[in-house]
Amino acid sequence: MPLLSEFYKNTTVRITNINCGADFCRRLDALGLFEDTEVEIIKNDNFGPLVIKILNSKIALGRGEADKIYAEEI
Amino acid sequence: MAEAKRTKSMQKKSNLKVGLIGNPNTGKSTLFNSLTGARQHVGNWPGKTVEKKEGSFKHGSYEINLIDLPGSYSLTSYTEEEIVTSAFIFDENPDVIVQIVDAQNLERNLFMTIQLIELGAPLILAVNMIDTAEKKGIEINLGMISTLLGIPVMPIGAKTKHGVDKLLDTIVSQSKRLGKSQMKLKYGTEVDEELSKIKDFLKTNGYKSSNMEWTTIKLLEGDLRVEQDMTREPYYLQLKSLVEKSVSHLETVFEKNIHTILTRTRYGFIKGLGKDTIKYSENHDQSLSDKIDNFLTNKFLGIPIFLGVAWLMFQATFKVSTPIMGLIERMFAYIGSQSLSILEKIGASTWTQSLVVDGIIGGVGGILVFVPIIGILFIIMAILEDSGYMARVAYLMDKFMHRLGLHGKAFIPLIIGFGCNVPGIMATRTLETKRDRLLTILVNPFMSCGARLPVYALFAGAFFGANQGWVIFSMYILGIIIAIIAALVLRIFLVKKLSSPFVIELPPYRWPAFRGIMIHTWEKVWIFIKKAGTLILAFSIIIWLMASLPVGVEYGSQDSFAGTLGETIAPIFEPLGFGNWQSGMALTFGFVAKEVVVSTFGTLYGVSDVSSAEGVTSLSTSLHNDFTPLSAYSFMVFVLLYIPCMAVLAVIKRETNSWRWPIFVATYTTAVAWVIAFIVYQGGLLLGFN
Repeated sequence: MPLLSEFYKNTTVRITNINCGADFCRRLDALGLFEDTEVEIIKNDNFGPLVIKILNSKIALGRGEADKIYAEEI
Repeated sequence: MAEAKRTKSMQKKSNLKVGLIGNPNTGKSTLFNSLTGARQHVGNWPGKTVEKKEGSFKHGSYEINLIDLPGSYSLTSYTEEEIVTSAFIFDENPDVIVQIVDAQNLERNLFMTIQLIELGAPLILAVNMIDTAEKKGIEINLGMISTLLGIPVMPIGAKTKHGVDKLLDTIVSQSKRLGKSQMKLKYGTEVDEELSKIKDFLKTNGYKSSNMEWTTIKLLEGDLRVEQDMTREPYYLQLKSLVEKSVSHLETVFEKNIHTILTRTRYGFIKGLGKDTIKYSENHDQSLSDKIDNFLTNKFLGIPIFLGVAWLMFQATFKVSTPIMGLIERMFAYIGSQSLSILEKIGASTWTQSLVVDGIIGGVGGILVFVPIIGILFIIMAILEDSGYMARVAYLMDKFMHRLGLHGKAFIPLIIGFGCNVPGIMATRTLETKRDRLLTILVNPFMSCGARLPVYALFAGAFFGANQGWVIFSMYILGIIIAIIAALVLRIFLVKKLSSPFVIELPPYRWPAFRGIMIHTWEKVWIFIKKAGTLILAFSIIIWLMASLPVGVEYGSQDSFAGTLGETIAPIFEPLGFGNWQSGMALTFGFVAKEVVVSTFGTLYGVSDVSSAEGVTSLSTSLHNDFTPLSAYSFMVFVLLYIPCMAVLAVIKRETNSWRWPIFVATYTTAVAWVIAFIVYQGGLLLGFN
């Protein structure tokens, strides 16, 4: 399963699995990022944080964090 | 008698406690400012480093006490802000909670609304920026949302004050009637079954709660706060195993984590609500905000642009504040000399004269001299924050800062430290978690501040002639290197948790609200004067006492306690190449402010005016008797790294809300300074320098 950080910009993906600790999971929940949600990749420079669009807001997500999230293209 | 009692109870009734809550970047502060104006009280939440803002105002016959709750995305216990927020709703029984939401991002904002409703908070929803949303082609049926959620929903414009009066009317009229919303989220049969199992258990054991539904859901979610409350109950272990059983049952049935199950239900409900009440017209045009982002967060241009902005910010702050600071210094010098002549006339003892002039007037001047720097800096910081650029800075710098275990946003406080560490440390407030804030505070003193420059200038000028520019530059670089090493080491030993996850919202760009910025800046300045100022004054007086006791010694002379202290500690510096008593004393007085090192040498070598050209020359000549180029360099290194000045320690105390950290900083920086200066001096000797 590909990682969120492996997708190019302007692709829309569906989150399949998130491998996160309790605190971080709660944080992502609050932003609307959890399994089965659709996310648009706005920016991915191959280093540094990714910018993604969830529910109409732009979120910058550290690369380390994005490496814990699995997704599939839709 | 009865009459008086009645009026009293009526008065009590007309006081309303209202909490203002919301996601970051929803216009919460703007609404708070436009409601309370300048009548705000800023403090800390008890025992926390989170700021607490309150303001009172009248609406009709009601006195409304509005409490600005820190911006957060949910009501869990992830950050200190969230803990403070939920504690307020629980323990302080507010009459009304107003949640401000951004119309452009309603679904995400409603997640917290659901949590508030489940909590049973007396909630009113204030929908901000509805006109902007309409322009973007988002149509919202507020009436329907109100019906579906079972709470009042009001459109407002926080900036234009549009609809604010109506909101206040609603707060007042609903304050008595506002109970729990009747809305009940359906989690599905499986979950509901488990919930009622837990509920039944609690009921049979006589557990009483004002909100049983919420307690059971939170138990299922493993909420820390509720669990902690339950540890006090005698049946805690039984309850715990029951909850664990329910959780594992649900997780097997749904093949999902319990949080995912509950979160999905909540968002599922919001999605359904959104479908009925929000209409998006297809709009593929790139917004202005996105266009600006293409430029400002560009892979290649982003960082150079930011460095330019940072440079401008630094220049503006220190170029504008330096003349004002000079003015304040001259003003206090004038007040000092005037007071001195008055005191002489009335025949006050020299001891009293010195206490008033050097101790008190000098001490107060030493506090106020920071005001221009803090004021200007915070105006600029607030503009960056309000406009949305600060979030982009965090995004851009995270690539590098992350490797040091620091948050992307930590870059700005560190740069500011090059001007002055006091506002640098105050600026760490933009960081979200306590850990990030602490680490940034702890390494900040290694950023070589402006007050250290006169010391470098004196020594580099006296000993390094043509190369003095490089020598001074090397100090700044050394400070950065030591800060990086300190961050790496502290993060392992002290702040054990790894870097907090980097997840931040990049809000749409907007024009900053002028009024809000002025209020914010004034608050910062006032807190500094009030909280840090008192400590600085106390330090000043202690130093003054040390410099003027025992009675009869000349102020700051070798015979004073401070002089004796300087002499006593001098041998410690022998291996660093400057074991002379003059250095010991200069370093002791450097605690007041690092540039005082220069004037202390001036006094000790009998040079009256260290700022004049002749003064500098004669001081340089005298220094050659006590220093070699190598020991001069070692001394500069020590001044760069050793104990930060008292104002910095006072601010660390204020920002961390404990004495532990300023004491730690004072100790570890001095230890580091000694070790590095030792390496420089002894290493230099081995390499054949002198």
